[in-house]
Order: sequence, then structure tokens, then C-alpha cells
Amino acid sequence: MTTQSTLKVSTSSSRPRGFKSLSSTQRRTITGYLFIMPFILGFLFWFLAPALVALYLTFQKYNLISPPQYVGLDNIQQLFKDPLLLLSLKATFLYTLLSVPLSLLLSFFLATLINRQFRGIAIFRTIYYLPSIVPAVANALLWAWMFNTEFGLINVFIRALGGTKVAWLQSTSWAIPAFVILSLWGTGSSMIIFLAGLQGIPDIYYEAAEIDGAGRWAKLRHITLPLMSPIIFFNLLLGFINTFQVFTIGYLVTNGGPENSTLFLVLYIYRTAFRSQNMGYAAALSWVLFFILMILSFITFKYLGNRVYYENPGD
Amino acid sequence: MATKKLSRRDFLRLTGASAALMASGLDLQSMLKAAPAAYQDVVKLVFGGWGATAEDNGVQAAIKEFVKENPNIAVEWQLTPAAADYMQQLLTNFAAGTAPDASFITADSFETLRAAGQLMDITDRVKADPQLSQPNYFFEPQETDRCADANGHWHGIGSTWVAHHTYINLDLFEKAGIKPPGFKDEEIWDWDTYVANAKQLTLDGNGKHPDDAGFDPDNIQQFGTDWGLWWMPIAAAIYSNGGEYVNKDGLLAIDSPEAMEAMQRLVDLIYKHHVGPRTSTMADLGMTNTQMIDNNRLAMGIEGSWALSYINPSMMKVPLGTGAIPKMKKPAALMQAHFHAIISSTQHPEEAWQWLKFLASPFYTLSFMKIGLWLPSQSAQVTPDGLKEWVTKGIHPDNYVDFVTDYLPKNGVSIRIPRGYIEADTNFIGPAFQALAAGKSVEEVIPDAVKQANEVIKKAQEA
Repeated sequence: MTTQSTLKVSTSSSRPRGFKSLSSTQRRTITGYLFIMPFILGFLFWFLAPALVALYLTFQKYNLISPPQYVGLDNIQQLFKDPLLLLSLKATFLYTLLSVPLSLLLSFFLATLINRQFRGIAIFRTIYYLPSIVPAVANALLWAWMFNTEFGLINVFIRALGGTKVAWLQSTSWAIPAFVILSLWGTGSSMIIFLAGLQGIPDIYYEAAEIDGAGRWAKLRHITLPLMSPIIFFNLLLGFINTFQVFTIGYLVTNGGPENSTLFLVLYIYRTAFRSQNMGYAAALSWVLFFILMILSFITFKYLGNRVYYENPGD
Repeated sequence: MATKKLSRRDFLRLTGASAALMASGLDLQSMLKAAPAAYQDVVKLVFGGWGATAEDNGVQAAIKEFVKENPNIAVEWQLTPAAADYMQQLLTNFAAGTAPDASFITADSFETLRAAGQLMDITDRVKADPQLSQPNYFFEPQETDRCADANGHWHGIGSTWVAHHTYINLDLFEKAGIKPPGFKDEEIWDWDTYVANAKQLTLDGNGKHPDDAGFDPDNIQQFGTDWGLWWMPIAAAIYSNGGEYVNKDGLLAIDSPEAMEAMQRLVDLIYKHHVGPRTSTMADLGMTNTQMIDNNRLAMGIEGSWALSYINPSMMKVPLGTGAIPKMKKPAALMQAHFHAIISSTQHPEEAWQWLKFLASPFYTLSFMKIGLWLPSQSAQVTPDGLKEWVTKGIHPDNYVDFVTDYLPKNGVSIRIPRGYIEADTNFIGPAFQALAAGKSVEEVIPDAVKQANEVIKKAQEA
């Protein structure tokens, strides 16, 4: 690769000034930067600047009304004696630990089901993908009705099968499982990513394996899973990050209840900032979220990353 | 037709010309400077608040009337549908230095904003005003209780009250042969009468009452009563039992024996006497308690006075009556409402005061009182002549006059919600009330929640 990142402005007076006066390498460099500028600007304005402000606020007491006041490590110390933070972490971890593996399994399973060629397959693919494009708010309200204890479809099925009604959204033990079921509704996007991966596996591998007498399970274990491991890894990582940032359903369906059992971490940060008017502590809480995600990503990369099989690692 | 391609040079020329045109068009400031003096003197006030169509229409009508009387002032109304959302927006406005000149303020934010110096002190203006300074212009002592701080300084005006009372399905009462409660002292039910009548009015799928053998509490078709388990109706019960919601130090006092007994009685209505629906049952039915009344699923519901505006009794399928909420030791109802206040940062305090005063005027308040949304807060509105101005047939039941002329002045309790209450409520008191609604005992949840909540309030007060 010959691209240079330094700019050399031409001093030649015989050539016209401006963009045209630059060498083709320089022009390519500028064009390249212009193309990635949306990301750079987004990173600076929507990540780095807010993160620096959050870092500053972590050491301040700020209620949005009066000017911030320096309070040293008060907000950090508060983290270690806050019972609501424990509740909030419990709800978030439980939701993540149940939702991520189940979503991965379901979306992988669905992807293998629709990775076939027959008449009308496009219709099935569309049907399975459609729920994931339903707006989050509509989704939340729809499922609030599905989980209605008296008239919700889920309890109607349970009763039809001879079970007893479950107070999904009113019970502290059932609210998180209800949200996990709700999250499975949106697996369409990871299913599509899996499907793309499955379709990238050349048939010759399967044909060769069949000649060697491999059955379905052996093909899945020795061909599909290794070749799909980068995509599984990608979906797993995104799954962790997304579920740790869950907010909409907790805010709209239960508003953190019953008895704070669905007080997800982001919902708690929001409440602390805008209901309790404690921006300093909310900033400290967002660092908790940041470090949890960072540690989880690190662990995932360290312990699972080296198990991922890359067909062309040099590319 | 021949087409001519636009050359790059032409394009640049055109762009330059357009930009110059826009720049000259945008120079409104200099154009305004050249305008006649009359236009220059119009002061623009920004007024923020929340509300549904009724509030929006009321404020818009008020603005029209106000600017007619004050041609030198223009009011821009910034509406946000929900109160909680509006208050969040207002906080960010404070942070950004873009707060409105005047604003609605929720009762639970009033003390926090006042203490932070965000609300203008209007004490001298109230005292100097020939109308507002008249003795007993407002309902007293309730108005002073809510508006004045410890030093007697006012930072807002209430303009209205709301309070809970009983909504009654007169058909179901008649069928059961029970005389409904009213608002006069002798018509107010004591607790035992209330529970006994609620049982009489509760029916399961087989037509059995809660004390009958074989009564099925999981299949109640008609509930006798409903008493919501959120802070306003809970506070009314606590005051009625001789307790306090907030004590004189501004701390929550709902862990006193009187308060705990009152709350347990409310929980018992649902789980012991089986006369009230669980919150979850109402959510499942997808109905409010007044809708349940209209559908013969509820005989009487304790609900806020504002519900009259959205149920519109003249449109109901059943005849509606109203009465006082039952008493424990003494009759009591909590009176609350939002405030109108001038934001300290306003550049136009005099004009903002004119607008605030107008918001306390009969023109503005009557429009909301007529539709059943608001109760009066001014003494003149409960005189025989004053009542004629707003009591509306088809909206206000016949005995409603007793509610505002007799019951509320005698039994209405107004409290100042302390600083830090929002956080205490969101994190501890609200979830504790949810636990009560789910059937946990008061003893199990309230003392601990009050302890944690008061720590938050103390911290806020020390700040």
C-alpha cells in the first residue's frame, strides 16, 4: 500500500492552486479522510466529548439547576453503598445471561431453517425478519398486551394447555423472564447475519464431508460451527452490548417495577439523572456500565476470540 | 425543446446569488429596527407547561384574552403533553440557560426549584396587588400553606385545587338498597360502614358477597370499591386516621402507627375483604376505575376530582353520584395542584407578573372549572354568585356544591412536598406502594422504605 498520511502542499507556481494542485496521493488522502469524516465527527461529538463531560461530572454534584460543585470521590464512594445499584445490576445481568444465549441459539436455528432453496423461501425469510423492524415502542406496547394476565395471548395459551395464569409483569420473579421472551421476538437481525454467513460456506466442504460419511451433526460440528465462529462471536459481542443497554422495554412496560425488579442499569442512570436530578452520580453509574462492557468485551476476546476460526486470517 | 446544460461557473454564480439573497432576507433584526415604535415595544414572554387538549385550549384562549388587554406583551406557549416530561425538559432548559419566562411547576418540584433560587420571589407583588392581597382572596390557610416558604415568601400561585372524592354508580347502589354517601358531615361514612357497604356491593360470578360461603375472590364480577394505592389517595387516608404524610420538618411520616394502620386498611380492602380490584386486575381489564363504574364493574371508586372532565357524566351509561371519601378518625382529603411561577432568569419580570396574575384570574380558571378539570381556589368562586359562574349541569352532580363550599374548606389538607421527594418517591416510596398493591403487608415494606427515603430527603435538604 502506498497511501501516505502526511500532506505536502505543492509550491509549484506553474500549477493552479487548490485541490487540483495536490499530488494524486495527497488528493487520495484528503478524499479518504472526507469519506471517514462522518465517523470521526460522530466519534468526537457523540462519544469522546460526552465521555469527557461524564468524567468531569463524576466528580461533581450537579442537579441541572445550580452550577456543578466539586465533591471529590463522593459519587464513586456512593456506588459501593447503593442498594439500588445492586438491584439494577442483578436485573441487567439476569436479563443478559438469559437473553443473549437464547437469542443466539434461536437466531442460529432459524437461520439454518431458512438457509434452503425452495419455492417461496423468500416469503419465510421475510416473515421471520419482519418482527425485528417493528419500532421498539410499538413492540413494547404490543408485548405488554401479550403478557396481560387476564386477556394476554400467552396466558390464554397457558390456560388452554391446562396451566395456571402467570402474573408476568406484576410479579418480581416473572418480569425478567417476560422481557427475555420479548427480546427473542427481535432476533431477526442476527438471524440475517447468520444466514449471510451460512450462505458463504462453500457447498464443496459439505459434499466432501458427505463422501467421507459425515452425518448432519458431524457436518454442523466440524464445518458449519468453525466457519460460522466469527459471526457467532460478532453476534455474541453485540448481544452483550445491546442487552446491557436495554432501556425501552423497562421504561415503557414496567417503568422499572414491580418493586425495582426490572430497574435495568440504563433506566437507573436515566432516573438518577432526570428524575432524581443527580447528574454527577448518573455519570458515575454510566462509567460502571462502560467498565462492565469493557471487561466483558475483553473477556470475550481473550477467552473466545482465539477459538474463532478465520479462513483467511491475513486479509 | 432545446435544453441548456448548467455550467459549473453558472452553478456557482447562482449559488452565490441565492446565498446573498438569503443573507439579506435573514437580516430581520435590522429590518425590525426600522419598524414603527409600536412594534418594537412588544415584549415576548415564553410560557411553558404540559397538558392534554383541554389545557392547551384553555391556555390558548387565555393568551388571546391577555394580549387583547396587554397589547405590549406577546406570549408564546410551549406545550409538552406529560408533566414529568415537561419537568425534565425544563431542567435541561435551566442547564442550557434557555428557561421560559413563566411556567407550570409540578407540586413535587416546587420546593426544589424554589430552594435553588429558580423561582422569582413574588411576595411584594402579591402584597401590593389590590386584588390578590385581599384577605381570603384564596382559600386559606391552604393557599398560604402551599405557596409560602418558612419565611412567608411566595414563589408561585396555585390557581386551582384538585382532591379525591367518591364516584358512585347510583344504579348499583339503588339495586343494593344502599343510600350513597354525600359531602355533609352527617352524610360521610365511617370506615366500618364503608367496608360493610362495599361487601354488600361486591358480587362474584355466582352472585355471592365476600362474607357468603363459597365466595370466589378470583372471579369477582362487580367490585364494591376501589381506593388507588398511590400517594394522593394514600395520604388522604393517613390524614383521616390522624397521621401525617409529611411532618413539620419536611420528612416523610408514613411509618407512624396511625399512617401504617391507615395504609393496611387500604391493602385489606383488596386482600382481606375482597371488595377492591388489584391494580393488576384493572390493568388487565384495560379500564380506569371510572370506566369500571360506567360498565357496572365497580360500585364506587375513590378518584381525583379531575376525572369529571374526562368521564363527562352526561355521556355516561349509568347515573353518576359523588360523595366524600370515607373517614377513619376524621374526614380528610388531600388538596394538591401544580403552580404557576415566574422563572428568576426572566428578562421581563413585570410583564411576566402581569401574565402570572392573569393566570390567577377568573377568566383563566373558570374555563377549566366548567369542564370539571379544576376545583376553585378563590373564595369568591364558592359564593352563591361565584358558583353560578362555573358549576355546570351534566358535569357536576347535584351535591357537588357541598364539596367545594363545605367539605373542602373544613377538611382539605394541603402539604408542601419537600426537596428530594422525587428521588425518594421514585426509588423507595413508589416501589413500596407497588409492593402494597401486590399484597405485601405495610409492616413488611413501609418502615424500611421510609428510612431510606428520609435519608435522601435529609441529604437534599442539607444541600
